[in-house]
Amino acid sequence: MGISCQEVWRDISDYIDEELDPVQRLALDQHFAECRHCTALLDGMRNVITLYRDERVLAPPADFHERLYQRLGEKRNHSRRSFLVWTLTAAAAVPVGLALFSAARLIVPGRDRQRPASGPDAHQVPETVAISQDQDDKLYHVAGCSRLHGNPKFLRVEEAIRKGYTPCVYCIGKLQPKKNG
Amino acid sequence: MGTTIREGSYVSAGGGDGLRTPPREDALEKGLASAVQEGSAQAAEGAVIERILSGHQELFLDLIRPHQRTVYATVFALLANKQDAEDVAQDALVKALGRLNQFRKESSFGTWLIQIAINEARMRNRKQWRIPMLSLTDDKDDAKAYIPKDFEDWREIPSTALERLETREALVKALASLAQHYREAFVLRDIHELSISETSSILGISPGAVKTRLRRARLMLRDILAPGLGRDGRLGWASQEVSKPWE
Repeated sequence: MGISCQEVWRDISDYIDEELDPVQRLALDQHFAECRHCTALLDGMRNVITLYRDERVLAPPADFHERLYQRLGEKRNHSRRSFLVWTLTAAAAVPVGLALFSAARLIVPGRDRQRPASGPDAHQVPETVAISQDQDDKLYHVAGCSRLHGNPKFLRVEEAIRKGYTPCVYCIGKLQPKKNG
Repeated sequence: MGTTIREGSYVSAGGGDGLRTPPREDALEKGLASAVQEGSAQAAEGAVIERILSGHQELFLDLIRPHQRTVYATVFALLANKQDAEDVAQDALVKALGRLNQFRKESSFGTWLIQIAINEARMRNRKQWRIPMLSLTDDKDDAKAYIPKDFEDWREIPSTALERLETREALVKALASLAQHYREAFVLRDIHELSISETSSILGISPGAVKTRLRRARLMLRDILAPGLGRDGRLGWASQEVSKPWE
């Protein structure tokens, strides 16, 4: 017997897996031919592997597949529902957003549509401006503007804008722009 | 992956919740036809995966069909509890669907699923602080020389042994008695027949460590099972009566 039982036990797993080189394998073959204990060990290990490879040992329950399919179906439906909810939310958000935008424009009318380069935000427009009650030009002026004819009416610039008046380019337009800061 | 993918062993779910097999002309068929041409089942899986990622999630059922048993067996072997195994196997497959875009094709799809299954089983074990029913070993055992507990002669596997539920349960119990790192190596190598390299990659250990754990797992399982199955086919644990020639 060339090698000891302890050496066989060390290499027996590699022997089963055919991972030993030919010389080592031959040594174990010779040992097994003479040692019934190590042969019993080898047979037992091979039997263990054979037993556990049998599909019956770790087989899933009969209705495993059905339950798995059901669960995956639920997940798909959940994903679909999530997508639907997201889509509906997004779809609902658009008109709501538009409504809020419109409401904001109503609350502060003329803020966006009446903002010429010479408008009140860009220039040092006085808080009170004048409009002509006899002219139809729908312009507002700084008091004393040569283009203001007829009977003047004084009102706050915001009110003039709300009523659709635009600044006179001769008086308001000549005002210096506000300096930021 | 050897016989890990047990083709043909699948039992059809037969509809269930309305999930249906896609039409014959759908991607799976195209993918499989392509695979035949290319001689590669992996190419077919790749084609199906791309279709799933483009929105055809119903094809996932076909993709995992050949792997369901493997995933369940992996988890059951590591948890040794049928209810937990089913929950965790389902978790693993649902997670695989969610992470399908992360599958890099560096390994086979089946191997990737096994990796997810092992991670899920580990997480479940950690959550439950599960301790093996009869842990025979610990990490230190890797370094110790192995001495068999007996040399009971076990030349034949009783042909009817596995027909008994008692025997199958005892095999699960015997596996569960090993420390987790031995179980993992045994499951991947000897049950799923992955290569040393694949096992090493999945477990994140060296090939040498895989071999050491595998050898120890095989020897310990033989120690546990041989005394019973070697005699009359009835499983039992190593008793005082078995021959121990060194004593």
